[in-house]
Amino acid sequence: MEKKINILLIDDEEDFLEITAKRLARRGYEVRTALSCGEGISEFESGPVDVVVLDVMLPDKDGIQCLKEIKMLFPSTAVILLTGHASMEAGLECMDSGASDYCLKPVEFDDLVDRIEIVYRDMKSQGSCSS
Amino acid sequence: MVSDMGYTTVKKKIKAFFSPTSSEAEMAVLQESFRTRYQSFRVLLTANNTALELMAEMEQALVLGQPFGMAFVRGHCTAASVNVYKMIQSLQVLSDGKYNGLFSSFKDISEKMEEILARQPDVPEGKLVVPLSQVGKDDADLVGDKMANLGEVRNRVGLKVPEGFVITATATQRFMRASGLQDEINRLLKKLDIDDLESLYSTSAQIQKLISFAPLPRELAQEIEEHYELLYSTGQPHPLISMRSSAMEEDKSNVSFAGQYRTQLNISEDFILQTYKDIVASKYQSQAIIYRNQRGFRHQDVIMCVGCMTMVDAVVSGVMFSRSPRNPRSSWVEINAAHGLASQVVVGSVDTDFYKVERESPNKAMQQDVAGGSPLLSIDRLRILAQIAVRLEEHFGVPQDIEWSFDRNGDVIILQSRPLAQPGETESETDEQMSVGHDDSVLLSGGLTASAGVASGPVFVVRSNVDLLEFPIGAVLVVEHSLPEWATLLNRAVAVVSEKGHVATHLAIVAREFGIPAIFGLSDAVRKLENGVVVTVDATGRFVYSGRNEEILKRKVSRPNLMADSPVYLLLSEIMSLVTPLNLTDPGSPYFKSSYCKTLHDVTRFCHEKAVTEMFSFGEKARYDARSAKQLGGDIPFQWWVIDLDDGFREGFDTHGKYVHMQDIVSEPMLAIWEGMTAKPWQGPPPLSIKGFGSVLFRSTMNPSLEPSVGTSMGMKNYFLISKNFCNLSMRLGYHFTLAEAYLGSHLTENYVSFQFRGGAADRSRRFVRVFLLKDILEHFGFRVEVKHDALTARIEKKEKEKLIEGLKVLGYLLIHTRQIDMAMGEQDKVDQYRQTITSDLESILSPDSMVG
Repeated sequence: MEKKINILLIDDEEDFLEITAKRLARRGYEVRTALSCGEGISEFESGPVDVVVLDVMLPDKDGIQCLKEIKMLFPSTAVILLTGHASMEAGLECMDSGASDYCLKPVEFDDLVDRIEIVYRDMKSQGSCSS
Repeated sequence: MVSDMGYTTVKKKIKAFFSPTSSEAEMAVLQESFRTRYQSFRVLLTANNTALELMAEMEQALVLGQPFGMAFVRGHCTAASVNVYKMIQSLQVLSDGKYNGLFSSFKDISEKMEEILARQPDVPEGKLVVPLSQVGKDDADLVGDKMANLGEVRNRVGLKVPEGFVITATATQRFMRASGLQDEINRLLKKLDIDDLESLYSTSAQIQKLISFAPLPRELAQEIEEHYELLYSTGQPHPLISMRSSAMEEDKSNVSFAGQYRTQLNISEDFILQTYKDIVASKYQSQAIIYRNQRGFRHQDVIMCVGCMTMVDAVVSGVMFSRSPRNPRSSWVEINAAHGLASQVVVGSVDTDFYKVERESPNKAMQQDVAGGSPLLSIDRLRILAQIAVRLEEHFGVPQDIEWSFDRNGDVIILQSRPLAQPGETESETDEQMSVGHDDSVLLSGGLTASAGVASGPVFVVRSNVDLLEFPIGAVLVVEHSLPEWATLLNRAVAVVSEKGHVATHLAIVAREFGIPAIFGLSDAVRKLENGVVVTVDATGRFVYSGRNEEILKRKVSRPNLMADSPVYLLLSEIMSLVTPLNLTDPGSPYFKSSYCKTLHDVTRFCHEKAVTEMFSFGEKARYDARSAKQLGGDIPFQWWVIDLDDGFREGFDTHGKYVHMQDIVSEPMLAIWEGMTAKPWQGPPPLSIKGFGSVLFRSTMNPSLEPSVGTSMGMKNYFLISKNFCNLSMRLGYHFTLAEAYLGSHLTENYVSFQFRGGAADRSRRFVRVFLLKDILEHFGFRVEVKHDALTARIEKKEKEKLIEGLKVLGYLLIHTRQIDMAMGEQDKVDQYRQTITSDLESILSPDSMVG
């Protein structure tokens, strides 16, 4: 890995956060976690974020709202939505709001890692295309 | 993923490039726009890969009969449509917004899907409480199946049932709406991981608590109290009552819901309202959540009604079946009886007398197994019961499972009559006899066949709810009592052995429904069967053997498809009509248009086809550019053109020439296809029989477009569209159109090989034979294959690179060696000969020793 990818996990399930963060860190990623959207957005202040993995059902804000906020404030950050239960309408709205990918929960860990790598690569090459 | 670069800007820049004043700077712009397109193309391919995989999972769910819930259906619908939408977005970027019509086709499809998903049960607006004297079978939508049947027994059959009333579905809906809890309950259920018992129990407890503590609407409480007071006239004032769940969708012949919900006895006036809420809450008991999931019911379709009836002062009670539950053709009634109340019999907490009584008058008793002392039922009483059982069966038209009591006056009171749950397999009457056990491996024998069948697994003894949490998947459940709550484990257990209990208990009914072998009444089972020790349970013969007894296990029959025809199954089937059927098969057809996309599959097919065409024509147009099509040079059969999308040529390759040679190609998938193509020398077309040749001639004259010279520019040549990881080969050799495509990256999620094949010169039947020959071969090498008419599509996805390279070699070989064999497909021995040659060639190509250059 040339550069460590900075990942931010936002999810209200503490167990999931803890386990996923640990496993991602073991694979060599820089990982930070947040239990809510607000907490997540303030995490951006403490350092760059390349990829956000975002749960659609968050306590303080609807996940879609959170996605929109992140994309507005930090357009070059790729966001992967991770959820088991968004409606079709919500899912499509996420794509219109600039989500890079959408994963079904429970997600296989290797699949999640793949998707993080892919959206990061695409986001980077898109940046280099339009710059 | 939508590029910042607007479509029009790209267009202008391209236009500028083709103008005579094109410069190096403009060349750079073109290359940049090419890269943007290529990136969108790649995103489209990955989304296609994911969408097709999700659709395949949805189809599999219907075929396999494994339980799935609404969470699966909803999740997959959303994920599949999101990925299809992503394909449309990407196609718009790489085609400069050419396919706007796709959005409206997609919208039509997704709105129809959403409409199906959002359907709510139809609950009639009716009374909140209805007296049992006004209830009949047709009121099931209002009072639940159990109470509707009991009302029918009272009012139409004319048998005695306890006096009482029903709190209706309308009432429960009003209560739930007033409580405002449904959203919170849905949220908890969506988060629930059904395979995690701990999460199941805690979610179940949480939801039940919410409901039990919610306030009851005033008018409902009042109505319940008024109807209760009406019962004073039936006997003593302030009578104790029994309160029974009577849910929608319960008590059907093939889905019993036996023992899934709560029944409470001896409820005094002060506790009626609280008990009502507890019973409504019992819809979310853990075993009920599991049961609905296994049987394909949506939680929202099950609305709880509650029957409230005066207690029967029962002397003796029991359960009877109008026919044997293990043999629907039996000519006897089976009766279980115990002192006191019937409820003890159905939960399996007491030993019971067991009787078999002939259905025909004079209803002779055929068998009597008495639990203690003297029999509880006299010959006269057995006859009365048998006659009632037959009468109820005749009235309802199907064998019945009946709860009854004799009161102090000697009257029979019917507490419940429901269709008897029938097992999937029927057994001969001799199965009732114990088969002869052999050898020393018999650990236990005897008891009753509660549910026939054989199975093997490690023993797991469950004594308490704590043990329950530890229960491993695939174990044999061993318990002392056959309590209904153990049904929570029936989606994990392979067999059940219980020391107590009989065939009429709820656990037995559910075990039969799920096709799980069960022996009940096997004394000493808990003591003699050790945790972790593998045993084989022969519930039909009533033996438990030590170890895995393969001889016995040969008799195993496959489990019934519990999902088939359930509400969730039917809902998914309906949705699938908007997902998988492929209508757009032929890109050359005038109907290959976005407006003809009727399913998600159509949209993926359309997007993919158009994306490839866009990438291709962009490459083809750029005649003077490095991206232009190069002819493959060297001493090779046929003519091939190669278009490099990104990094498919080796670094430093001079792109100005007309030719490219194989040694300049670094596209891994192309190299693999090429290896398969050239591994074995081509033998030339097969010798034609006169008949085969005639059929080719005929087809050529009938369809001039099949002449290679008449095709489109893309159709006339064989093209490789490549990058280092990607290759798309479109080939029109002779009369066939084939397309092989692959992406081999370092991420499994992106990886796939796909193959499309259509056409041929011979007549239909020969072409079909060839398509099926190809299908067999491709499936043999790990492809998922679909055939529609004479068109075949095959895919492998999300596999390691090595596996996909093998697949590509197979395709390369097949592309060359099966080109014209349809002409020889008229003769079966030729077909077999080809099959053999092809398979052995391919195995030698793929064998690790083969070093093909």
